[in-house]
Amino acid sequence: MKPVRSLVVAMAVLVIFSSVLHAAEEYTFDISETQKKPYHLGGYVEFRPVLSGLDQNAALYNLRFYNRNEGRTVSEYNAALQLEGSIEKGPAKLFVRMNVGYQDSYLGSTLTTAAYEAFLSLRPAPSLMVDAGKRTFKWGKGYAWNPVAFVDRPKNPDEPDLNIEGFIAASADYIRSFSGPLKTLSVTPVLVPVSERMNDDFGESGHLNAAGKVYLLLYDTDIDFLFLSGGSRTSRYGLDFSRNITTNLEVHGEYARIDDFKQSLIASNGSTRQTVSGVTNWLLGLRYLTEKDTTCILEYYRNGTGYTEKELADYLAFVHSAHDSYLSSGSAALLQKAAAMAESYGKPNAGRSYVYLRVSQKEPFDILYWTPAATAIINAEDKSYSISPEISYTGITNIELRLKGTILAGNRLSEFGEKQNNVRVELLARYYF
Amino acid sequence: MCSRLLKKVCWTFLSSRLVSMVILLVLIAWVVPAAAIDGTELLKQVDRNLNPESYESYRKLINIEPDGRKKEFTLFTVKKGRDKVASLFVAPASEKGRSTLRLGDNMWFYIPNVGKPIRITSLQSVVGGVFNNADILQLDYAEEYTVEKLEEQGQEYLLHLKAKTKTVAYDRIRLWAGKEKKLPTKIECLTEAGMLIKTLYFKDVKDFGGGIVRPAVIETDSPLYKDYKSVILVAKTRARDFKDEVFTLTFMPNLESLR
Repeated sequence: MKPVRSLVVAMAVLVIFSSVLHAAEEYTFDISETQKKPYHLGGYVEFRPVLSGLDQNAALYNLRFYNRNEGRTVSEYNAALQLEGSIEKGPAKLFVRMNVGYQDSYLGSTLTTAAYEAFLSLRPAPSLMVDAGKRTFKWGKGYAWNPVAFVDRPKNPDEPDLNIEGFIAASADYIRSFSGPLKTLSVTPVLVPVSERMNDDFGESGHLNAAGKVYLLLYDTDIDFLFLSGGSRTSRYGLDFSRNITTNLEVHGEYARIDDFKQSLIASNGSTRQTVSGVTNWLLGLRYLTEKDTTCILEYYRNGTGYTEKELADYLAFVHSAHDSYLSSGSAALLQKAAAMAESYGKPNAGRSYVYLRVSQKEPFDILYWTPAATAIINAEDKSYSISPEISYTGITNIELRLKGTILAGNRLSEFGEKQNNVRVELLARYYF
Repeated sequence: MCSRLLKKVCWTFLSSRLVSMVILLVLIAWVVPAAAIDGTELLKQVDRNLNPESYESYRKLINIEPDGRKKEFTLFTVKKGRDKVASLFVAPASEKGRSTLRLGDNMWFYIPNVGKPIRITSLQSVVGGVFNNADILQLDYAEEYTVEKLEEQGQEYLLHLKAKTKTVAYDRIRLWAGKEKKLPTKIECLTEAGMLIKTLYFKDVKDFGGGIVRPAVIETDSPLYKDYKSVILVAKTRARDFKDEVFTLTFMPNLESLR
């Protein structure tokens, strides 16, 4: 706790110090501030220490810590540098976003470097754009989940606003505007090549995958029709929408159908099987803003590719019995079998049915630049949940500070009840340049 | 003698009639001047004097706290026609690349990190402070308001405006405009019940070239944010035409290319 306490004190000092350093001065607007350079370099650097309380009775704790004793808490120190750069000349633009991450934890220190995006964009006209390179597409209208994000990596619902790494693809955007109920129509074809050296984590190699999106602004409603052809992944198609019902109430939804989805299952006795079937993922949500600037986001997510309550419970029960076997025989074979399935069973929101609720209050009691919020993710089948209260401060230009806690709870053999942590505290300090 | 008396009587009569007519004309000119001025046309003139129908401009928004601390945002704004406006954050670094788009009654906010636009409302504020999204993505007043009443107050006109729809940010507006330049000097934004939400003061009239002579400074205060002030500084405003496709969700990530 000492490092986190020190950082909280540092955060408070920074805030108080900045309020003393103000200067009452005349406002000016230098024209040179509006000059556009042909290049841009920017990004942010962040420091994020995390303290986690371990649930030593949880199945996933036993899976990860069966042969080590880290005590009741583990800490990790994360630092990241995200660099963005672009060069423009006429209708062409080259954009690169790099992420360098450093982590120091009980597992040791790691340094990772990844090009999240690097692509060339040509814009011969406002109605036509062509891109080629590594990029994200961010399809979908959902906040925490996006069933229709067919050509992106899944995002973390705990941090849905974080950048994610893209895939190498070629795409185009063709836009038309109209008067009348249909105000906008745009078509976005996408090609994603997959080989052993390119996009190898997209799916099966040796395919050129076609995807596309058609967007309409029709009767003041955003509507998308999306598809991904079969190849590296099984074929899938879907739609999404977003509309303001009243000025302060927005509703949105997504629907995706995935053909021939393969799922590996493990029973509580360790026997495995695989199923192949068409599945449906869908999401329905709303965002509501009150007069007092309270924002509420509520979403329900039906994850057809996820595990039912019984299937998850079977896996977690197997982990427990594998751990018992290790304690009695010293053999970790069953635990290793369980660990091989952890990538699918242990991923964020591996279950079938979820509710997401986020409530944030901008500048309560007119205290400028402070925003408290709380986020709850509930597994609607086994009723386990995580709750994350947080508070952020943006009163210092180009600096973002956030203190966030997470509590995970649930019954035995429930998703959140069997996570390796039951509590987590995190401090984020980010500087933009 | 009789003729002299008659002349005197006629002169007295005519004089008194003349005086009465002059008084009557003065009264008419004082009481009913607005009947000669169409309030809607005046409002349209005010709109055109503030900005061309299609233009680009750079603005700086400054939120000033009671203790003098301030937060600044630099925006690049483009507008076309009646109902298309887009704004791109140019500074500070934490906001750079974010943009807002208004197309009719629809408004969206785009954050590059999130990578997709989300719908917002006119009453929200993506910059905080006294200004809200409706102030940043301002359409013509004649587009959103009808003129209920027009008064003359010395050297100024006072227009009483009523929102055309419920989606407009302010139910009522009182707009003072100078008679000579037909530019706003003060605007009070009110609720339907007449409660004051905020006041905008237009100052420092400058020649931006291209026939655009307009206030370069707009200060705002609000009884709801006591002792807080927000200021917009306008620079580099010029008429410019755009393709309709610029004002679409798909183009939002590319607004920077218009600069």
